[in-house]
Amino acid sequence: MNFVPFFVILPLAAAFLIPLTGKKIKIAGEVASIAATLSLAVLSFLVAALTAAQKALICNIGKWIAPAGIPMIVDGFSIFFLVIINVIAFLVAIYSVDYVKRYTDTWKFFTLFLLMVAGMNGVVISGDIFNLYVCLEIAAIAGYSLVAFDVDAEALEASFKYAVMGAVGSSFMLLGIALLYSYASTLNMADMALSIAGKGASKILPFVSALFLAGFGLKAALVPFHAWLPDAHSKAPTPVSAMLSGLLIKVLGVYALSRIFFNIFGMTPQVSMILIGLAVISMVVASVLAFGQTDIKRLLAYSSISQIGYIALGLGVCTPLSIMGALFHLFNHSIFKSLLFLNAGAIEQSTGTRDLRKMPGIMAISPVTGYTNLIGTMSICGIPPLGGFWSKLIIIFACIQADRPILAFIAAAVSALTLGYYFKAATPILFGSKEYRGINNNIGKRIAITMALPMAALAVLSILSVLILLPDTGRSFLGDAVAVLVRGREWNSAISGAMR
Amino acid sequence: MNLLANFLAYVVFIPIVIGILCLFISEKLKILTKTLVFITTLIILAASAHIFIFKPMYWPPVQTPAFMADNLSALAGIGISFFAFLTALYSFGFIEKNNGRYFGYVLMALGSSLGAVFANNLIVLVAFWGFLAALLYLLVSIQGRQRAPESAKKALIMIGGTDALMIFAIGLIWKMTGTFAMDAIRINLNGVFPYAAFIFMAIASFAKAGAVPFHSWLPDVAEDGPASVTAYLPASLDKLLGIYLLARVSLNLFVMNSASNLALLSVGAITIIFAVGIALVQHDFKRLLGYHAVSQVGYMIIGIGTANPVGIAGGLFHMLNNAIYKSCLFLSAGAVEKRTHTSDLAKLGGLAKYMPITFVSFLIASLSISGIPPLNGFVSKWMIYQGIIELGNNKNPLWILWLVCAMFGSALTIASFMKLLHAVFLGRPSDASLKLKEAGISMTAPIIILASVCIIFGVFAFAVPLRLLIMPAIGREALTYIGIWSPGIATSLISVGIILGGLIYMALIPKRERLVGLFVGGEDPEALERVSGAEFYDTVKDVKILGSMYEKEARHAFDIYDISRKSLEVFTKFFQRLHNGVLPAYLVWCLLGMIAMFIILFLK
Repeated sequence: MNFVPFFVILPLAAAFLIPLTGKKIKIAGEVASIAATLSLAVLSFLVAALTAAQKALICNIGKWIAPAGIPMIVDGFSIFFLVIINVIAFLVAIYSVDYVKRYTDTWKFFTLFLLMVAGMNGVVISGDIFNLYVCLEIAAIAGYSLVAFDVDAEALEASFKYAVMGAVGSSFMLLGIALLYSYASTLNMADMALSIAGKGASKILPFVSALFLAGFGLKAALVPFHAWLPDAHSKAPTPVSAMLSGLLIKVLGVYALSRIFFNIFGMTPQVSMILIGLAVISMVVASVLAFGQTDIKRLLAYSSISQIGYIALGLGVCTPLSIMGALFHLFNHSIFKSLLFLNAGAIEQSTGTRDLRKMPGIMAISPVTGYTNLIGTMSICGIPPLGGFWSKLIIIFACIQADRPILAFIAAAVSALTLGYYFKAATPILFGSKEYRGINNNIGKRIAITMALPMAALAVLSILSVLILLPDTGRSFLGDAVAVLVRGREWNSAISGAMR
Repeated sequence: MNLLANFLAYVVFIPIVIGILCLFISEKLKILTKTLVFITTLIILAASAHIFIFKPMYWPPVQTPAFMADNLSALAGIGISFFAFLTALYSFGFIEKNNGRYFGYVLMALGSSLGAVFANNLIVLVAFWGFLAALLYLLVSIQGRQRAPESAKKALIMIGGTDALMIFAIGLIWKMTGTFAMDAIRINLNGVFPYAAFIFMAIASFAKAGAVPFHSWLPDVAEDGPASVTAYLPASLDKLLGIYLLARVSLNLFVMNSASNLALLSVGAITIIFAVGIALVQHDFKRLLGYHAVSQVGYMIIGIGTANPVGIAGGLFHMLNNAIYKSCLFLSAGAVEKRTHTSDLAKLGGLAKYMPITFVSFLIASLSISGIPPLNGFVSKWMIYQGIIELGNNKNPLWILWLVCAMFGSALTIASFMKLLHAVFLGRPSDASLKLKEAGISMTAPIIILASVCIIFGVFAFAVPLRLLIMPAIGREALTYIGIWSPGIATSLISVGIILGGLIYMALIPKRERLVGLFVGGEDPEALERVSGAEFYDTVKDVKILGSMYEKEARHAFDIYDISRKSLEVFTKFFQRLHNGVLPAYLVWCLLGMIAMFIILFLK
């Protein structure tokens, strides 16, 4: 039996069931989404074990063979993302149970949440570029509506901006896909790679490349395509912010970008240069901007842009070591950034504010939130021995190894900046000022166990994440993902052969 | 394979594991925490002594071991364990709440410091090194004043920021040599990469040890943090680590040349003079000590910068001595603060009567830091002077400048400690009704031990510390000196002098004394009755150049942290103004970005 389609079927089915039962059974949304994401998480581990043995799982839907059929492909690179998506989604779903109590129609929230998960899973396993685009739109549209879920002026404005800019990005992509189809006469990504390789140089490829870089760069929120992100990620409901910053920008942006440029087009020096340029601008500008923020979530949002810059830098430098650093950083970032957003929600719940100037000090009020926040902050700042330290170290070393010491220096300097703005925020968050204690009625309110558990789990994960660098168990997980990108177009030839 | 054959693995990981354990011990069981901490630090001290005797040691037993104890690291290791033990002892009486967290962090700091000095792999080194910075942050903000978290943040950002540069430097070293094993690295200083790597490694060690211009976190932490933490980390462990790394970098990893030595000498000289100048006018007990902690680093850096055996030995000896007397000073300050609840010099005074043990120990330590013979601070400074003079013998034209800086700094140190001694222990108490008493035994014991070590290391300098600790560390049997200093004769002469003076004083002491009111000729008597000493040297501010310097210092104009913060603010404001929330503007950026990419892709 082939498990691959279930990554999309399960969340879609659950998303379909929730509206049917949601009005009658109050907790339908909670139960269905936790059940669905839990089984997805288990499934992703199962499939990870299978891919490790077989290298790529291919499922031709309805037994139609490509190019007529639509294949779903899980290789080392996809499974790397599938595990991240589904584990984080599961933890966020648990966290949401308590968080959504502030809304009336909670089932709508969970429907959209599962749609987003389905869309992301679809992007990752899709073997043809048009389906990738469709799934990407599903996830993005679910994202637009979830950002607006608070339905106040700010949330609506943020959602509107996000939707408009997202739509612009999507139209770039669609145009690019259409041109590419006319050029390669196939939508199947593996065949497309072969066809492009066979045809040689053409004026259309750079044009499509620019469209894709802009479109996916917008989804990944690289500067200057980032302007939607600070609003969207800070005004969204906190669990959604965690999903957006932790997963969505990486799946829709980084995954799709690297799949297309490494495996279909093949990396060229120009694309590599553009990626590095975007990365450096993102890292520097976003971290400088983060210094000026007083809202916790807005600060986290800017830091996401900056950290995506690190990932893009690693991909742009384009050596096996740098790609490994980039993917490892992506892995770490999805863990600690979702953790930090969940913390922000818990802090808001316990203290009644997200304003850094009015923090009463969470350590004294809720030690669980305090310690997990400390671990998350230490990890993103690159304080050893946490995951973020090792991934930044690898990226810096990879730049030096690739004879780009200037880039390495920038990466190191931005790491110092990151430390600066995070501890500028963490110091009031953790220790705060006693004068703000007791102003708000919420203060001292205990956070629910369903909120504490996911935070604790993510904190433990960010301590243990370095283990995937170990040989045997971990390296095949990370190593397979790296291998797919390193092999580039050659990998797709292998897939193309295996599909038939 | 016998993995646990020697102590190296134990001394690093046992304190860390037990430290993590301590975090989870409830406050009610604090006696258990304290017992655990006492036993652990004692065992680690014994194990470090063992390592020192049986060095060199390697662990794990493979081709390129991650940990190595050689002469230099074993010296730093034994120092670290010694100070951890004393700090733990002192803290039993000093720390009131959050025992589990505090002692947990203390043990973890011990483990990671040992990990950093015994590391034979640059990545292992930087991992422990960076973790220690985070522990400093946690320890300072756990207890202390309202502003403590802010100062802790400053320390973490400065140290952590330079750590990032150190990672970059390690990357460069790896590129040049292809290895991370420290015992296999030997780089000649020529070309951009070697210089960049050397500079960034040196900067990391400067920030840790607190040398100008990366010093500004230290006085803040000293002022706001708990005294036990200041004595433990900035005053001893961070010094040992910073100078250890500097010595390692300049003695082993790189082949120094005259330019790099000149750089070290200038940093050292500037550090001495600048910090001690600022210290003169401080009004806070602990902040003043903090500036001295900066100033003393200059001597160690000069010692290493002289690049001759006497100077280096002097620098390393000074590193050890400084940690001894400086923690003694900070621990005494903590005892005073514990009893009086203030460290403002204007509010202190006359404590010698109430706290005689603290006073005598503080006196010894402050004479030692001022370089008064026959105490240990004198011996190491003497050796550093010898090193500088030897520079002169080798036709180095600037030697006289370094010598003047070092000696003048020493004079200013005496001056500022006269002020401190008067303001805290002598003179009249600000509130005579206070019934103060000596701090508890667990707090006075470490202070007494440290003060005695100051005397022993001074009087028996050649027989004990130099022969047993320092000479093995630089791998030499004996040193040749230009000047001769014989502590034995000097000590006897000084003792005779003191006894004679005492006898004369006793003989001439008035039989009866009477107290009369002050005749003030119409002035406000309150203002004249008490001379607190806090303003002793405020007149230096009247000198024009110095006055504006002091005024700029007070505005943090020389603080690299504040300078960077302010210049960043300009950029932040600029970018924030660009983000005006207008959607069409954002879309124009996207378009411009895309056009730029088109151009790059088509033109290339």
